[in-house]
Amino acid sequence: MRAVLAEADERSLIEAAQRDPRRFAELYEQNVDRVYAFVVSRIFDRDAAEDLTAEVFHQALANIGQFEWRGTPFIAWLLRIASNAIADRWKREGKYSPLPDGGLSETAALDGTERRMMLTQMIEELPADQKLVVMRRFIAQRSVREIAAEMNRSEGAVKQLQFRALQSLRSRMGEK
Amino acid sequence: MSPQSVYEQLDGAVEAMLLGIGGNGEPLDPSVTQLLGVADEVRCLPWPQFKQRLRIELQATAASLHSGDATSRARSMAVPRQPLRPAAQEQILPTLFGTGYGNYPIHRSSFMVSAVLHLVLGGIVLAAGIWIARHRQEVTQQVMYLIRTDQPLPYDGKGGGGGGDHDVMPASKGDLAMASDEPVAPPVIVLRKENPKLKAQQAVVRPPDIKMPQNVGDPLAAIFPPSNGAGANGGIGSGAGGGIGSGFGPGVGPGYGGGMGGGIYRVGGGVSPPLATYTPDPDYTEEARKSKHQGTVILWIVVGPDGRVWDIKLRRSLGMGLDEKAAEAVRKWRFQPGMKDGHPVAVQVNVEVNFRMY
Repeated sequence: MRAVLAEADERSLIEAAQRDPRRFAELYEQNVDRVYAFVVSRIFDRDAAEDLTAEVFHQALANIGQFEWRGTPFIAWLLRIASNAIADRWKREGKYSPLPDGGLSETAALDGTERRMMLTQMIEELPADQKLVVMRRFIAQRSVREIAAEMNRSEGAVKQLQFRALQSLRSRMGEK
Repeated sequence: MSPQSVYEQLDGAVEAMLLGIGGNGEPLDPSVTQLLGVADEVRCLPWPQFKQRLRIELQATAASLHSGDATSRARSMAVPRQPLRPAAQEQILPTLFGTGYGNYPIHRSSFMVSAVLHLVLGGIVLAAGIWIARHRQEVTQQVMYLIRTDQPLPYDGKGGGGGGDHDVMPASKGDLAMASDEPVAPPVIVLRKENPKLKAQQAVVRPPDIKMPQNVGDPLAAIFPPSNGAGANGGIGSGAGGGIGSGFGPGVGPGYGGGMGGGIYRVGGGVSPPLATYTPDPDYTEEARKSKHQGTVILWIVVGPDGRVWDIKLRRSLGMGLDEKAAEAVRKWRFQPGMKDGHPVAVQVNVEVNFRMY
């Protein structure tokens, strides 16, 4: 029952965005984490993943009028665009594409992205000091010394927080 | 392995992973190896500003699509979107490449407008500097016209005076008191003290070549019953200072300082300053030019009701012939005369004449 309601909601959102492109923001909010997780799990580079994710949504917005509702989730259409964008990028850079010619299948595309999506939410749920260490160390890529100075803690304490944060994330991912 | 060793080992491995280099080859603790997998996934998470920035971009594109702007639509579809800037550029110029310093979206056009304005201003400053450098041998006299009211007016034989003893009646008409350079007692019409211990001849400071008084009073007054006038500090009239008339001082008439009034006024108290309308620059003397002598000459001048310079006195000298050059130039100046009660009057002002070599 919930799936049917979600499907109806998504369809109405798509139709609204087709009538008024400014309504596309809601579709974006619903799907950006998953598209990014999908892209980054294949190219393992943050800057490139951000560029490709942006490219996917710009293409989707430009072509939203051509989207035809056939019962498949909107995310599948986005991931197909993402697959093609990744393939094009590899082709431009002369790299070997591990993806099949037609891109990833919808099922394959959905696999492995959930884990990264959950990771974002789990970081938000970490204790404040652990979250700060994770954000500074891995997102901003600061050194332990810089983080220690910022937090007014010892370097050993920061390393301990780093360990605890990763341990907590791992255990939570294992639970789910 | 102690917990501290595990923390250290994990941090070393994380550092190597972030730098994209291999480890030191030493075997890692199993718990560290497991956590490194999580760390590898965490380091690929997007920048916190990424989603907000992309949303703003999409909103702008959507707005242009909605407005039916064909040009924008064609551009957004035909032209490949510029890739988002690397993080390093964001940190160097957040107002151009990043999301700005605050919560509001950046406008790159504002950055460009600012840059262009700065370039234009820089060009103007540069051009001005070059012009000054090329004309440094030329002498420019910058003349400033200043009105000063804080300096004492030297006595020059013109002026006025006034007095009274707070009588309710205006001063009565009469002849001037006798002349004296240093009057001891001010003139009076009504004697308040009948038998003073020290008697002195009443007198005012005025030119001595006038006939002796018969009936002392204010010659400009209407005829009234005998009265010393509404002024103060002795004398006759509505002024103050022991003279006769509406002025201030031991003289006669309007004005101040002694002598006959109605002469020179100073700015203030209903007297407007004269305004310079024609101020030719003074010449530099050859001697001052060669020695690069600079400075300011201050001249005391009287601007007559006709707007011409009546009188000039030197107040601050600069030497090397520049005082004379300054006076020579100022004598040619023309003014819109100072006004009092709607009539042009002679007004004393000081002017500064600056000699500068640029």
